[in-house]
Amino acid sequence: MSQVTSSKSEDKELSDENLFVVDGELLETSESANRILIQGENLELKTKDHKNEEQRTTAAGSQIQYIFLPFIFLTVALLGGLRLSAEDNAFLFLKPALVCLIYATLLLILFFRAGLLTLDGWFSENFPTLKNVANAVVLLALFFASTQIFNSLLPERGLPFWVFAFCFFWTLWNNLFVEFHGKRLLQSLGSVFALAFVAKYLLLSCLTAPASANWWSGLIENPTQEAFTWLLDLPHFSAGTGYIQFFAIIFYLLGLFLLPASTKK
Amino acid sequence: MYSKSVRQIITVKERHIQILGIVLGAFYAIFIAWLYWVEPKSLEQVPAKAQESIENVTTKTQIAIGTYEIDRAKFNEGLAAFRQDNFIVARDNFEKADPERRDAQTQFYIAYSFYRQGFGRVSNDDALFKSGLERTNSVIALDKNFKSGDANLQLKTPIELKNEFEEGLKVTASDFNPLKVLRERK
Repeated sequence: MSQVTSSKSEDKELSDENLFVVDGELLETSESANRILIQGENLELKTKDHKNEEQRTTAAGSQIQYIFLPFIFLTVALLGGLRLSAEDNAFLFLKPALVCLIYATLLLILFFRAGLLTLDGWFSENFPTLKNVANAVVLLALFFASTQIFNSLLPERGLPFWVFAFCFFWTLWNNLFVEFHGKRLLQSLGSVFALAFVAKYLLLSCLTAPASANWWSGLIENPTQEAFTWLLDLPHFSAGTGYIQFFAIIFYLLGLFLLPASTKK
Repeated sequence: MYSKSVRQIITVKERHIQILGIVLGAFYAIFIAWLYWVEPKSLEQVPAKAQESIENVTTKTQIAIGTYEIDRAKFNEGLAAFRQDNFIVARDNFEKADPERRDAQTQFYIAYSFYRQGFGRVSNDDALFKSGLERTNSVIALDKNFKSGDANLQLKTPIELKNEFEEGLKVTASDFNPLKVLRERK
């Protein structure tokens, strides 16, 4: 019996010697480990979503910047010089005076000074040529729109033209030496343009005599308006002109609001 | 790998948008400049003005590449009116035949029509003679060796015609010669 027991214990020792020995720490398959794995997967998904979002945002931003903004500014350039004749509502395309170009240049300088636009954010040697050209198109459209906005707001001729031109010059020149924020500049421009619009298309148009068959009947029917029209050399335009110019100014301010300070990503 | 491909997609799309923006912006700006150039009075006039501009551009291109030709049909109509002493209609047809004023022969006939219409036995029409002189100068500028082959014209060259205009515009003692009424139109 004892011999049998000893032989069994020897067999067991032999079989234990044949087993593999695995060294290492025991790991717990707990919930926290699973959570870490899930969080990792979520992070990856979020990164993908973020990249997709970024892609969509970039595409939308580019569309606004390179398609919508030039369109809106060029529409302002189209409408800014458009008047409707008092007699038959015919289109009158008025080309801008030289002073409008000068004021538009001053206004662009002001935009750069106030930080509404940054030069290195729009033109850089690090940008591809195509991007620099596309940015130049946007800024050119802005320049044309600014020129035509002054064409729209300045009276066409006579004493009012010089009075308005002087007021604009005074405002722009003063602003050139003031520390501005972009938002403040937009507010200031909005108020100046609104004031000029009211003065030209409400006040001066009220002083302009309506088109009459002849000078004598006009003098009898509207003596005061005839006198102001003659004294101030006010042109006759249809009431529709004011509506067109109103939308031109709104579009211009909307374009400025959407204009990014820099095109760097 | 993934981020690289996404970046490529973004870059390509942005590039396309930039190209589209440049092209559309340029076309729209040209359209606006054209509107301010031709000044249509209403929306209905826009197609007519466009057609006029296209014809103008076509003629200018023909001049540039040296294939410009006058409208023969209009020229013949003008010539027929000229021979019937209907000078206003003749000039109108000649102008339509050569809108760019590039053909010496057509311009010579226009100048000649001013001479024949302005000629008077007692006195010439100074305004018509001045217009005729200007046209004759343009014929000389176009082709100083021009000579007309029309047997009905007594003045064959622009130099002769110019001399007639200059003499007709001058006030001299011979203008008061009563025998002047006997002279014939050339």
